[in-house]
Amino acid sequence: MTTIAFKSGVDDAVIDELRAIIGDDDRVLPNTSSRVNRTRVPAPFPVHRWADYMPDVAILPKTAEEVSEVVKLANRLRIPVVPRAGGTGLSDGAVARRGGIQIDCKLMNQIHEIDLVDRTVTVGPGINMLKLNEELRKHGVFYPDDPASYPCSLVGGRIGTGGWSLLGARFGHTRDLVVSMQVVLPTGEIVEIGEGGGRKLRKSSTALNLKQLFTGHQGTLGITTEATLELVPRPEVEFAAFFAYEDYMSAYRTLGDLTKSGLATLAGVVLFDEWKIAYLRRDDEAYIPQPDNVRAVIAVAMYGTRAEVEPASKIVMKLGRHNGGRYLGDEISAGDWASRHDRYATPLHGRDKNGQAVMMSWHCEDAALNYSVLPKVREEWHAIVERYREQYGIFDDWGMFAYTSGPHKPWADYLVEIDIGIWESRLNEENWQGWVNCKREIAEVSLKYGGSITACHGATREGDAHLVPQEMGSAWEVVRRIKTALDPNNIMNPGQQSFDEFYEEGA
Amino acid sequence: MAIFRLGDQAPPPARRVTDTVVMRFDHVYEVDPALMELTGQQELPAWDTLRIVDSRWDHLDWMHAHFADDVLLAGEESETLPADKPPADEMPSEERAGPRPVE
Repeated sequence: MTTIAFKSGVDDAVIDELRAIIGDDDRVLPNTSSRVNRTRVPAPFPVHRWADYMPDVAILPKTAEEVSEVVKLANRLRIPVVPRAGGTGLSDGAVARRGGIQIDCKLMNQIHEIDLVDRTVTVGPGINMLKLNEELRKHGVFYPDDPASYPCSLVGGRIGTGGWSLLGARFGHTRDLVVSMQVVLPTGEIVEIGEGGGRKLRKSSTALNLKQLFTGHQGTLGITTEATLELVPRPEVEFAAFFAYEDYMSAYRTLGDLTKSGLATLAGVVLFDEWKIAYLRRDDEAYIPQPDNVRAVIAVAMYGTRAEVEPASKIVMKLGRHNGGRYLGDEISAGDWASRHDRYATPLHGRDKNGQAVMMSWHCEDAALNYSVLPKVREEWHAIVERYREQYGIFDDWGMFAYTSGPHKPWADYLVEIDIGIWESRLNEENWQGWVNCKREIAEVSLKYGGSITACHGATREGDAHLVPQEMGSAWEVVRRIKTALDPNNIMNPGQQSFDEFYEEGA
Repeated sequence: MAIFRLGDQAPPPARRVTDTVVMRFDHVYEVDPALMELTGQQELPAWDTLRIVDSRWDHLDWMHAHFADDVLLAGEESETLPADKPPADEMPSEERAGPRPVE
């Protein structure tokens, strides 16, 4: 039984107070359509229980002061607050599990400053990276945070979820690219978080390193209202090359060769396994015509100056052909790399057990894993999904990939995902619980092999979220002390990552 | 005056590519209609299919230019696929599908 985490009731008096704070009724949205549209994210969702996850009201603040006053109100009345940016996350971090006030930051989308001397750009959390880079291009600089959701996700969500970038091996991930930020704490104070006291410093040894604490907390420790971000020189050239292999282990060995090459312009290396190739062979124009002996694929991408990338590309072409690798050609290499954001723009379909095409939503269960365990995890994950596919008939195995994850050090850590299609229109409570159990089993394998249950999406998914205390082990108590000190009333995105247990009676 | 007649834009007949895939226009793959019994399909006139394909290339070009000034490639053909061959006579081509729109 919990004493503080709750399902909120936002009544007319609260709505009136929100309207007084915001001063614009068009930015306080208790109407049904505004709430329905902000309920789910593009991850599998219990559509049969949609109403359980609706916020009571959505607001669209424009300033940190407005956010602060709303959070103070929520803290006073013990109402949950759920920050939401693009709503493109894959693990429900922006989903209101306890109702309450959803703070949608989309109107805080200004570029406040471009500093070409100290190489930073300061923005509101509601700006999109694609739109930001369109502006930055005029100045010959680039903000290199490149998630699969690049065309539609927002900076605030990237910070809240500790986002992972497709170019992370070269430029780092979101946490490496945020120089400093302004945060509204769960008690409403506005604080500046950076390296020591600096707003544009990349390294300080003063006091504690707070910046990482406020990056990737899934909206449970505060709301970012402004961020100062890294600027890098706009790349002169992009190079992409895709190689095919007759078996997984040949591709796996080549993956190791490429990531240990020491090439500094290496932005990403990804390995698609046999299940992924079989999935692509159904519907993808690049893979349908491929011969049967194409069983695994490695993709490599590099960015930088021509002087660096051009000679490095020769080395990549040589390494890619190790272990029987065959080049897939310029057209597929260029086209498939440029297609890397497609999943957020295309409808998805899978196959039922009879091979019939059915509309499915896409879920990618991710993990952070070391190179040494990739083959074993692959076998166990696919076996789990096959078992649930057979039992429930609404899941489809869309294959796995392993993607370089260590920022600037691509040789040992991988973001590993198994993509699973879910036939949402067939979801009911029994099927949903089957899905939750499937996810839990997948996450348990990650922990068994010394990994983390998420490298990218966040540990907020039903099922694997229950394993967060187990993964954190002796550090779980440290997490408890930090969370309860900063959020004494559990108002900031309650119900996520098993944090509610900190507030249970006797905890 | 140009008159759009949907009947003039009927896609060419499909030819089988694999056990589960058919093709009406070169390099434009479709799921075998026999596997689409549970999922309704939208009928597209030929010009619309080709427009979508063209737009796709525009999108990819835009994405390359967005991230870097220039694209560097190995300059090599595929080592897994045979070089492109002209479609056989019985295979419908984009050109044979007719202009768009029909006058």
